[in-house]
Amino acid sequence: MAYREKTAWLTLVCMIVAYVIYFSLVLSGQVGPRLLDIVWTFGIVASIQAIVVIVGHVVLAVSSDADERARPDERDRAIARRGGSASYYVLLVGTIIVGVVMPFSDPAPKIVNSALLAIVLAETLRHVLIVTSYRRGWHG
Amino acid sequence: MAKPLPGRVVNQIRLLRFMANEMTQAELGERIGMTRQTVAAIEAGKYSPTLEAAFRIAQVFGKPLDEVFQWEG
Repeated sequence: MAYREKTAWLTLVCMIVAYVIYFSLVLSGQVGPRLLDIVWTFGIVASIQAIVVIVGHVVLAVSSDADERARPDERDRAIARRGGSASYYVLLVGTIIVGVVMPFSDPAPKIVNSALLAIVLAETLRHVLIVTSYRRGWHG
Repeated sequence: MAKPLPGRVVNQIRLLRFMANEMTQAELGERIGMTRQTVAAIEAGKYSPTLEAAFRIAQVFGKPLDEVFQWEG
């Protein structure tokens, strides 16, 4: 498995685990309605996720050949572009819903969490496309 | 716009590496500025290189482009 595919898997799995936990807490009512409650809980989850991802990247880098860690080539860049362009549309739709529609109908905590969900969905899609492009091939 | 004709790019890189004293994927990758994984993906038909990279690969083997890559319709 390519080094960049491994790092994409690591980031994807950590993101899914972290935000399934976060949104489970939100949906079960364990996160208070104040902005500080949301930021505090999200901050803890995001920090733990970042630490695990950083440590995982270091472990993968140490255990990989120098050749594998070489600068991204045209295939890596094409795959990254594919993920980025697809996730852009998810983020765009999320931004319209959260920033244009929801302010007229929903309370602030729901808007904040919806914005976070849009970001998480966009990033998840990006990494899913990166992983599948490495796995199944991509002729972009 | 008309629907493109079905087909895919195939290549002879594995054979050409064999004929070039069993050149490794890593060696070829180094000479064309790509990673070993990308060379492996090209060989397996999982990635179609850019025209520039395709010319570089052909240049390494001293072959014209159409002896390295073919269109299989």
